[in-house]
Amino acid sequence: MDLNIAPQDLAFREEVQKFLVANVSKDIQRAVELTSAFINEPEISIDFHRALHKRGWSVFNWPKEYGGSGWTAVQRYIFDTECARYNAPMYNGAGRVMLAPVLMKFGRQDQKDFYLPRIAAGEDHWAQGYSEPGAGSDLASLKCKAESDGDDYIVNGQKIWTTQAHKSNRIFALVRTSNEGKRQEGITFLLVDLDSPGITIRPIHGNGGDHEFNEVFFDNVRVPKSNRVGEENKGWDCAKYLLEFERGGSLSAGRVRAQFTRLVNKIKTHCPDDPDIIARMAELGTDLDAMEMIDISILSALQSGGNPGPVSSLVKMRWSQVRQQIAELTMDAIGEHALKWVVERPLYETLQLPEEDEDLLTAAPRYLNYRAYTIFGGSTEIQTTILAKSMLGL
Amino acid sequence: MDLQYDTEQTILRDSAEKFLAGRYDYRTFQKTADSAAGWSPEFWSEIAELGWLGLPFAEDDGGFGAGAVEIAILMEAFGKSLVLEPYLPTVVLGGGIVAKLGAPAQRQEILGPVVEGKSRLAFAVQDQAKPTEAKKTANGFTLSGAKKTVLGATMADTLLVSAQIGSGVGVFVVPVATRGVTVRGYRSVDGGRLADIELVDVALPESSLLGGNEQAGAAVEETVQRAIAALSADAVGAMSALVVQTVEYTKTRVQFGQPLAKFQVLQHRMVGMKVKEEEARASCLFATLSLDGSAERRERAVVGAKAKIGRASRAVAQEAIQLHGAIGTTDELSVGGYVKRLLAYEMMFGTTREHLRRYGAIISDPETASHGLLTVAAE
Repeated sequence: MDLNIAPQDLAFREEVQKFLVANVSKDIQRAVELTSAFINEPEISIDFHRALHKRGWSVFNWPKEYGGSGWTAVQRYIFDTECARYNAPMYNGAGRVMLAPVLMKFGRQDQKDFYLPRIAAGEDHWAQGYSEPGAGSDLASLKCKAESDGDDYIVNGQKIWTTQAHKSNRIFALVRTSNEGKRQEGITFLLVDLDSPGITIRPIHGNGGDHEFNEVFFDNVRVPKSNRVGEENKGWDCAKYLLEFERGGSLSAGRVRAQFTRLVNKIKTHCPDDPDIIARMAELGTDLDAMEMIDISILSALQSGGNPGPVSSLVKMRWSQVRQQIAELTMDAIGEHALKWVVERPLYETLQLPEEDEDLLTAAPRYLNYRAYTIFGGSTEIQTTILAKSMLGL
Repeated sequence: MDLQYDTEQTILRDSAEKFLAGRYDYRTFQKTADSAAGWSPEFWSEIAELGWLGLPFAEDDGGFGAGAVEIAILMEAFGKSLVLEPYLPTVVLGGGIVAKLGAPAQRQEILGPVVEGKSRLAFAVQDQAKPTEAKKTANGFTLSGAKKTVLGATMADTLLVSAQIGSGVGVFVVPVATRGVTVRGYRSVDGGRLADIELVDVALPESSLLGGNEQAGAAVEETVQRAIAALSADAVGAMSALVVQTVEYTKTRVQFGQPLAKFQVLQHRMVGMKVKEEEARASCLFATLSLDGSAERRERAVVGAKAKIGRASRAVAQEAIQLHGAIGTTDELSVGGYVKRLLAYEMMFGTTREHLRRYGAIISDPETASHGLLTVAAE
């Protein structure tokens, strides 16, 4: 057992670092720094994604046959860590991390051939149509319905909390195609073009000031049956498979450590002698080390052909809490600087302040936005219930 | 990078757990704790026969050349079974400092009998009020001072004693029977034995200084850090036992017409315990795998692990008592034994609070904070 990076991996790290220097401008780094939302907007992430695509790295986590990089677990870790340290933007996880594995497993050949290269190249921006006003944690109670009409479905209903729908051109949606039998057995997985007639997108503004979420309304929207993934009424299999990737599909250690390092710097500037703040920082640091070890052990298991198992619920739950606590402590560390509020978004376009102070304005919005981390993708309570069964046999 | 046990490590873990499950139940623990000596010579011979007492020592010294991971595997199993015999003081602390500093003749003379189960060691490292001092004499040294909280000293025949020599530090081999040595043993909260040791003008030959080394400060510190990592594995073993027993107990205890384990509010609290155990295990593994790295990395990992595991262990212990209800507040069930084992862990070799403070100082450097846990292998 060891935690070593081999000499050939060092060469790889240098290669990644050079690539980042060449392809992430100071302006983009600043934009990432000033993004208080969870997800970078496509405006600041698409160029980097295209550069990655040109290099063959845009979908590094995919199997090689679909354009993946074939990297080892350690190389994935290095890439992730270096991107986070350099404030590189991330583009559209909904397509790359969530939808793609579903298409690979359940999609028809023509669907794979059409959609996967477009995701890799950044030509499509996907939104996730899961939650509804009456179907949050209890996802299987969803009502948005698709009725058969010749070669098409007619979709009616509503999706909600749809991240970046207003920046997306397509949405994958769970729709109800049957009310017979078990609720899970009447759900179908559909790919929908967001410019179809009958779709209306309305913004939901978070209390952190950012517009990330939307409501998406479907009013007699015609969707070809060929846009169905898998069989009719078998969409729940796709839905569950996707959640595995949403919850455990990517490493968090690099990003959270970068967030933690920013916190350490803020404490150094604003309250280097506050024993309460330092103690909380130290506790978070030990949590971060432990969680990073769990991330690495997942990589190690994957590398030796195993699968992560129930621990994906654990990492989803704990990383989201650690992120929240770092955001919270950052706000506490800067104290009254958190009072000042700028309404306009994005901050990287509106701000004209001295450079060393401007990111203080993200602390309170981040704190507020990050409360959603423990709610989306399966709330902490849902993950805990899953863990009671999977880890404790209860 | 590789975090999977190899075949031999898997065998060691399985055989240790199997042996201890049959040999060392809670009654054995209680009987041993309540006995005058606080340990069992029979059990000690048995683990000598299993080869465990020679595990980390070089083959030249009669050992098996295993590493920190193997020690952690055994210690976790000891924690699960509440083993009281002085493995940590003899093999990890005393044996560790002898292996690190001793000249070949000293290593053979001291470690040989340890491996065979005929000798037990203790490392007297913590001073009471002021540093223990060694003064050079015509024939060797005179040792004076007072040590505290020495693990296993009442069971040992040979002490390793750290002392200042001028501005340096050395470690001396001191047979317990040496004139001027007084060992005052007492029982610790977890049923183990600790001792305060008084050293009054103890005359020692020149050959008693390990390796003739008068600059042994770093080696002493490293040995204590290795002991903390090993003790952390013991704590992880105790925590995992508490989680298992709490889950089992709530499955059998019926109230309001159903097992307690059916109540979601209790299920969630047990998941909380399990998650803390998993994080503690991960933290312990980081410490274990950092022991052979640079001094900075070792310190960061060990100090962080002690702080993290101390905090996690207290929470798990309190939850275990609460979910057991009234019976959890007694020594009837092993819960009481584990809770006190973890309490001792928290207070030994520097408290959770002290380690958290040290870790805070280490991680306040943004450069250190920014480093991920994978590292470039030392040449």
